[in-house]
Amino acid sequence: MSDEPILRVQNLTKKYDEGRIQALRGVDLQIPQGEFLTISGPSGSGKSTLLQLLGGLDEPSSGEVFYRGANLAGAFDLDAYRSRRVGFIFQAFHLLPALRVPDNVQIPMLEGPLSARERSRRAEALLEEVGMTHRTRQYPNQLSAGERQRVAIARSLANDPEILLGDEPTGNLDSENSARIMALLSGIQSRRSLTIVLVTHEAEVARMGHRNVHMLDGRVVG
Amino acid sequence: MALVRIALINISRRRLRTSLTVCGIAVGIAAFVALVGFSKSFEREWLKLYQSGGTDLAVVQKTFLNTSVDERVGDRIRALAAVAEASPVVVNLMDLTPDVNALVFGLPEDSFEMAPLRILEGRKFRGEEAEAMLGEVLAGNLGKKAGDMMEIQGAHFRVVGVFRGGSALETGGVMMPIGQLQNLAEMQGKVTAFHVRLRPAPSGQSEEEYLRQARAAIEAAEPGLKAVPAGERAHNNQLVSLARSIAWGTSLIALLAGALGIANTMAMAVFERTREIGILRALGWRRWRVILLIELEAAALGSIGGMVGLIGGWGALRGLASLPMTANIGDASISWPHAGQALAMAIAIGLAAGALPAWRAARLSPVEALRHE
Repeated sequence: MSDEPILRVQNLTKKYDEGRIQALRGVDLQIPQGEFLTISGPSGSGKSTLLQLLGGLDEPSSGEVFYRGANLAGAFDLDAYRSRRVGFIFQAFHLLPALRVPDNVQIPMLEGPLSARERSRRAEALLEEVGMTHRTRQYPNQLSAGERQRVAIARSLANDPEILLGDEPTGNLDSENSARIMALLSGIQSRRSLTIVLVTHEAEVARMGHRNVHMLDGRVVG
Repeated sequence: MALVRIALINISRRRLRTSLTVCGIAVGIAAFVALVGFSKSFEREWLKLYQSGGTDLAVVQKTFLNTSVDERVGDRIRALAAVAEASPVVVNLMDLTPDVNALVFGLPEDSFEMAPLRILEGRKFRGEEAEAMLGEVLAGNLGKKAGDMMEIQGAHFRVVGVFRGGSALETGGVMMPIGQLQNLAEMQGKVTAFHVRLRPAPSGQSEEEYLRQARAAIEAAEPGLKAVPAGERAHNNQLVSLARSIAWGTSLIALLAGALGIANTMAMAVFERTREIGILRALGWRRWRVILLIELEAAALGSIGGMVGLIGGWGALRGLASLPMTANIGDASISWPHAGQALAMAIAIGLAAGALPAWRAARLSPVEALRHE
């Protein structure tokens, strides 16, 4: 296996509002393949911005993000990167309210080559992996918050990504559901050898990764 | 789960708005189906009129409005080698009662166009007497039979016969001596056109070439006139052109209103679903797939509106064709090509109206869209 980390960021900055807001101020970070990394820090510390840049949702103002040694800015079709390499989970779940649970899980698969039957089979398997096979007729608004996040996790795995990025995935959950979701993510990480990068402001969640980096004012401070 | 299904689910989320949008486009399509259908039907009936009478060419003024032709040119046209017969005809749309209009045809008693008419009751008119023959549908509408008197534009006529013609224009119309109609229409010495029947083409010469030569001969003999093939005349005569222009003009205005309705609906949908579009982009959907989804929704609105409009338009066409005011000048049938054209137009309008909202949706930054409240 190559020593090249799966993700590496180098002197990364991100400015908003014509430079008046500087969300990231020269971040350097390496994330080896298979690591469960948590990024903690207070609101406004730049952790979500860093996650967005790692996921190809946005582009840096300066600096680079490397995936397996290749610069995301030049070498990659970011749509394909988000579709094939990365899975996202969000604090607000971001499920599509008009679609039933299995249809939500299949949404990312529409960018892939799978037939309708294969998509359906895969969605069923993913829902089984997250323990949601009993809720397949429901719409998102008929699910509890914990159940919604399970469906969102199943959706993030739809195209069998190498990296799972979570932006405060337990932020809208009570402590019991938080613990369940973290246990689920740990299980998925070890079964699939996934690289997980999870942003959180909860100290307990931050401790559950293999490694934690702490951010403050747009910099990694520990 | 196909993209089409997601599109249909999305448009069913706002049922009232979708229904109103569908109604908007349906009104436009219904207007198109009914009005343009009526004008096409009108055109078909003109063609049948020429075909049943055996007319090959119509000789009319070269001017854009095709006004009237001096009736003295008839002899010169008849003298041409290719011409077997040239019958003068005057055509006018007249009010017979406050509610009933009809096309009135003025012909000589011995016109070749009189021969195919089947007399159901009474007889044909004779000479230049104040006599009229009624098409069977018109006779039914007016409650007239052979022997009755009727008034047309202040003049009294005896109904001498009821006939069946080859075209709805005839069965819903009046035939009278040409001189009588010239007096009524104040066209003394003038006719609307000469209808020409040609001699058979000489062996070895194609019909097309023969027709072309005959036209050239007539136009050379009468430089102010043009000889138009029957099919072309059916398509381009003033009444058909007027009906077609009104039909297209009215339909296009209604279709434009429908298109704006779809554009508004899709713009609203994109605005309301900004965050959802951001989610799709975050999950790796390409811009073109977002465009495709929005365009599918717009096309679905267009096609549902098109189908509703087809049904509504067919009903309106039936109503229009049965009105006494329209003088039974068209039938209520919709041809498959016309229905296909209406549906294709509805879908095209949907796609065009959805294009800008789709483009705007595709341009959304995933991060900005996810932040949208």
